[in-house]
Amino acid sequence: MGEPGTVLQPALKNKSPKRRGLFKKHFWGYMFLLPAVVIFILFLWVPIAKGALYSFYEIDFVKGNTFVGLDNYIRVFHDPDVWTAVKNTLYYMLLTVLIGFWVPIVASIAISELRKFQGFARIAAYLPFVVPGVVLYGMWRWMYDPVGPINGLLSSFGVDPVSFISDSKWSMIAIVFMETWQQFGSAMLIYLAGVLSIPRDWYEAAEIDGAGVWNRIRFITLPSLRSLIILMFILQVIGTSQAYQSQLALLDGGPNNATLTYALLIVKYAFTRLDYGTATALGMLMFIVLSLVGLIQYKLNKEEY
Amino acid sequence: MSKQHERGILSDSDLKKPLNRIVYGFMILGILVMIVTMLYPILMTMFNGLKTNQEVNTFPPHFFPETWNWSNFKEGWEYIDLPMFLKNTLLVFVGNLVMTIFVLGLASFSISRLRVPYHRAIYFFILMTLFIPASSYMIPNFVNLKDLGLLNTFWAFWLPAGASAYYFLLMKNFFDGIHPEIFEAARIDGASEINSYVRIAVPLSVPIFATLAIFIFSSAWNDWFWPSLVLHSEEKYTLATAIYKYVISARSMDNNIKFTILFMVMVPPILVFLVFQRFIMRSVSLSAVKG
Repeated sequence: MGEPGTVLQPALKNKSPKRRGLFKKHFWGYMFLLPAVVIFILFLWVPIAKGALYSFYEIDFVKGNTFVGLDNYIRVFHDPDVWTAVKNTLYYMLLTVLIGFWVPIVASIAISELRKFQGFARIAAYLPFVVPGVVLYGMWRWMYDPVGPINGLLSSFGVDPVSFISDSKWSMIAIVFMETWQQFGSAMLIYLAGVLSIPRDWYEAAEIDGAGVWNRIRFITLPSLRSLIILMFILQVIGTSQAYQSQLALLDGGPNNATLTYALLIVKYAFTRLDYGTATALGMLMFIVLSLVGLIQYKLNKEEY
Repeated sequence: MSKQHERGILSDSDLKKPLNRIVYGFMILGILVMIVTMLYPILMTMFNGLKTNQEVNTFPPHFFPETWNWSNFKEGWEYIDLPMFLKNTLLVFVGNLVMTIFVLGLASFSISRLRVPYHRAIYFFILMTLFIPASSYMIPNFVNLKDLGLLNTFWAFWLPAGASAYYFLLMKNFFDGIHPEIFEAARIDGASEINSYVRIAVPLSVPIFATLAIFIFSSAWNDWFWPSLVLHSEEKYTLATAIYKYVISARSMDNNIKFTILFMVMVPPILVFLVFQRFIMRSVSLSAVKG
């Protein structure tokens, strides 16, 4: 970097008393931070604080807010929809683990062993991830249609058509399958980076010692990925516990509330029932539960090491 | 690809054993099935957009169109005011990008390089927000924007764009990686803080700005739910929101035109991905390791 730029005054002038000198010296450092601090307060910390506050208020945009004490929380605990939503969210989280969680791990190990077209396989796996959400919904609503391609495939095996979307037995599974299709590629890339960073000599040594292929995967590959797998699992739990967009876009929580997740219920309380206070209370409860989960996980992690 | 294949879990001698060969064959078959599963819905969307409406609705579905109806594109383009929605999306993208680079670039440079007193406290203040689940304060966030009078303006996207701890962290990690001696030398030569940011840090940061640009582009292009809450007049809708309201939720609409529009919306992000794929795939694995 040859050019030093225009030479301004020396940054240090040691004439003023210590405190003022310190401030002057760091003036630009603080000025650089100022916009970010203002923006973070205004658009993150204020909403978070308002969330805690509003959960005790009835929000009315016209007449102004009134303090109602614990009414919002009492309403939450008496609403049967809340329990349905909690149950559905847990069911959804379980499905994402059963259907989706292991796929990228297996795929990354398999793709790492490809000797040709590895780059192509990677691109193909990642491609759905760049498909915009709205396109995804249109695409898969048709894929799942009673006269769509999946039922076309099933009928060629002689299976009766399944209405994946409107049958409450299938609707949540259909959503999880669609989301796995879209998202596993990005997780796969992360695992693949992990798989490829394992030193090759370890496999060499294990092979010389007579370890078969399966044992090499079991005792070298998987243990090396362990911390990554745990991290991805935690991220998935945090992410899936807040899911609502696919459920809203594909089914609006139906059929018969079968895909009404907790976060979707928050949205519905706010924007269909126009009860912002109770919606905020639901958000606070979610925050408390997720923080507890985080805390427990942190504790467990500490004990382990 | 080097000429000599580097061994992985399997070595060349493993592949000479018959059992391993069979398993390896099944693995390749599995990967092929995966690739077909990945590409089929995308290609189907494209081909459906070229069929007649009648053909889209036949059962079982055909893969290739019988007749190639290129006029669908014209019809789809005119079905809703795509150029206007496109313009809005690009406005949101550019504004968000400028805001992120301005606000978070300066802040992360200051935390990483200028080391003011209490910078750790400020760092902590920013990072804390990463641990608060976004949907738990979604509603107060909406009410807050309403209180500030920002609803139905693009400022409701531009201003909060600077409040992303994740992008902050990406940039700070990047600045941490620049050799400190460059800045020392500049300071000795008398460059002010602003000069060393504008003349040294920014030119070196092009790769991280490009990564951010791709992330911000994809969120501006994809987000449909939040804009549909914040914006309520049609001429302000972003592309994704407009597609959701007028195409996905449409009750009576020809299926082939629907697919044509979906295809047109899908093409730009796919092109961006294919052009920058090496770069994008590297930043995906990078962001996971660091975050």
